[in-house]
Amino acid sequence: MKELLSGNEAIARGAYECGVRFAAGYPGTPSTEIMEAFATYEGVYAEWAPNEKVAMEVGIGAALAGARVMVVMKHVGVNVAADPLFTVSYTGINGALVVVSADDPSLHSSQNEQDNRNYAKFMKIPMLEPSDSQEAKEFIKIAFEISERFDTPVFLRSTTRVSHSKSVVTLEAPKTMEDRTAIRCNAEKYVMVPMNARKRRVEVEKRMRLLEAFAENFPENRMEINDPEVGIITAGMSYHYAKDVFPDYSYVKLGMVHPLPVGLIREFASRVRKLYALEELDPFIEEQVRALGIEVTGKAIFPYTNEFNPGIVEQAIIGHDKILRTLPERQLPLRPPNLCPGCPHRGLFYVLGRLKVFISGDIGCYTLSFMKPLDALHSCICMGASIGMAHGMSKALGEKGRGKVVGVIGDSTFLHSGMTPLLNMAYNHSDALIVICDNLTTAMTGMQEHPATGFTLQGEKTMGVDLAKLVRALGIKSVRLVDPYDLKKTRTVLKEELAKPGPSVVISRRACVLFKREKLSPGKPLRVDPEKCTGCRLCLGLGCPPIAWKKLVGPSGDQKKKGEKQQGIAVIDLNICSGCGLCRQLCKSDAIVEQI
Amino acid sequence: MTNLALRKDPYNIVITGVGGQGNVMASRVLATMLVRRGFRVTIGETFGMSQRGGSVMSHIRVSSAAVWSPQIPKGRADLLVALEPVEAIRVLADYGNPSVKSLVNMRPIYPVGVITGEADYPAPETIRKAVAALSETACFLDATAEAIRLGNPIWGNIIMIGAVARLGVLPVNRELFAAVIREGMPASRVEANLRAFAIGEAAVA
Repeated sequence: MKELLSGNEAIARGAYECGVRFAAGYPGTPSTEIMEAFATYEGVYAEWAPNEKVAMEVGIGAALAGARVMVVMKHVGVNVAADPLFTVSYTGINGALVVVSADDPSLHSSQNEQDNRNYAKFMKIPMLEPSDSQEAKEFIKIAFEISERFDTPVFLRSTTRVSHSKSVVTLEAPKTMEDRTAIRCNAEKYVMVPMNARKRRVEVEKRMRLLEAFAENFPENRMEINDPEVGIITAGMSYHYAKDVFPDYSYVKLGMVHPLPVGLIREFASRVRKLYALEELDPFIEEQVRALGIEVTGKAIFPYTNEFNPGIVEQAIIGHDKILRTLPERQLPLRPPNLCPGCPHRGLFYVLGRLKVFISGDIGCYTLSFMKPLDALHSCICMGASIGMAHGMSKALGEKGRGKVVGVIGDSTFLHSGMTPLLNMAYNHSDALIVICDNLTTAMTGMQEHPATGFTLQGEKTMGVDLAKLVRALGIKSVRLVDPYDLKKTRTVLKEELAKPGPSVVISRRACVLFKREKLSPGKPLRVDPEKCTGCRLCLGLGCPPIAWKKLVGPSGDQKKKGEKQQGIAVIDLNICSGCGLCRQLCKSDAIVEQI
Repeated sequence: MTNLALRKDPYNIVITGVGGQGNVMASRVLATMLVRRGFRVTIGETFGMSQRGGSVMSHIRVSSAAVWSPQIPKGRADLLVALEPVEAIRVLADYGNPSVKSLVNMRPIYPVGVITGEADYPAPETIRKAVAALSETACFLDATAEAIRLGNPIWGNIIMIGAVARLGVLPVNRELFAAVIREGMPASRVEANLRAFAIGEAAVA
């Protein structure tokens, strides 16, 4: 049977087909749908862990028990999981362990563009890289075979383009594997104290030599000899880009990007006249090929940054793309992303932005508050950083920073990596204020469960941690709750907590407006009474999508005559207004009213 | 199903709009219809943070012979389906060429710069002229208004797919749409989708 699947759906399907019944992960674009798709298959166990390190350790434990385990995360998640990963490379895994790393060239939805192929080399873990959905399904199976055969964790690297693109995949019947789980102790192999780890370190190098030999004859490292004039060594999506524009050139298409098949590459280089290494991000293949003493062109012509496309490849190799376009440059209004109509973050950040404080931000939808007109977030580094950074800044500023430093963090992000820095704030007498933007879900990646939602990934009811109690348990004495739809109250509470000495936490609680389980209907859509609107523009400061500015000076002279000072009026698009009422609270002339 | 001829191979379709308009749904429905016709189809799209109310774009590449990469090279779109008018111009500037056919929903969604009064949104006439100048043929409709009459602005995307069917550039029709939609959707929503599709067909006729 053939089906149109995304790369992510294909990875989940492949894991299921080859008998994997255990997976753990933390949501993050572009990886999220892998776990979501896997969780729907019959007879599987799949969980969202609070963060990638926990997911990794859950996976290692299950693999040590003998299970075949998939652990899934986005590229920066591997940073969080890196600590256990470096060392599980030494111990090996007993069952099977495949780590899916979904990288994000072009930073479509990430804070950096790191190339996780470097981790494969750094951690001495083999890595496969599919280039479309069919390969994604096949490669995850091969990854499990390699993991079992070589007693090693294996990386499967995807990129946003592979994960989110859809192409036709042939489905096969799922295999059921015999249960090989059991308690088996082997302290020498799994207790990584120096005396044991030194021995395992040697095993790692032996394994790498075996994998190097394996790579030479691995059928997915494929040589395609066509026109011997030009040869391209490539992997992943770049292969398709190149084939689109240069179908007649010769290729080495690498299914395994670490370790590289050195013999195959040498042979290929000897059979083509001009050799290119085509790869997004780092010159990972290029540098290794050059280290073999082979002349190769790579980053001298291909960009370091951003994902490629067929045009970029064509341009780089032949100096121009084939179609010459003479389209005029046009002045169009830019369309950056924005918080949704009715988003609970809007009220909170509208208030915060007017408090003249430094706002140490974190990863989530609310990060968008850095933009105008909210202009209410001043740093964003990684998950959980808001709290540690707010504390550090507050300490460094001393008296100057009193009541002036706020850290903001979402509920899911707080549970991911906000608890330890908050404990640190209590421990080290911090003076900063932390606001937990609790929208009752992991909103940015599309409403995933977390330990405070009361449900598991597979929809089972479970405990939901009480954030206020948790925060108190971490040593924070002053904990307040606000509804960010109430601007006045939110402002009052934030000001009071900023004025207090010592660390405080304000939980700003209101469900994400897109969260279907909460069945929200904030209110009826509102409209602007043009008779009453004075054109003061206060409501525009919310940057709310339905509210627009309509200039009164137009070609149609039949508009209502206003005083000379008034340049225009606000209008609300009733089709997208959620009726949250923030603009109504701001309007000084009662011009915002319910639809008739 | 039998493989019908494409006007060009690969035939490159861009569906564009604003995050939340149902771009992904539209591309999935159109692509599934083409897969049913026996074509090899690749869809390229991105979603995540940059798409929260931002510009979105799906690429659909259709071929009877090969699997193509999910990104259409610049300047090589054959059909543009725009759920939002300014996005039509934005995409045409990058992917347009003298033989592209454009289908544009004329209902604007204002970007934040326009909301705050810092940027101007082009007048409808300016948009029509720009799209027409960048396309071989251009067809404009107010799919959002039709969808609101039907009961929900979200159906604008299906109205646009109905319009695509009537353009006659792809081997898709109402029967095929009905088959696809019945499979992928709860029965309660099938009727409204079929009506939306019919409205789109009528809008081009």
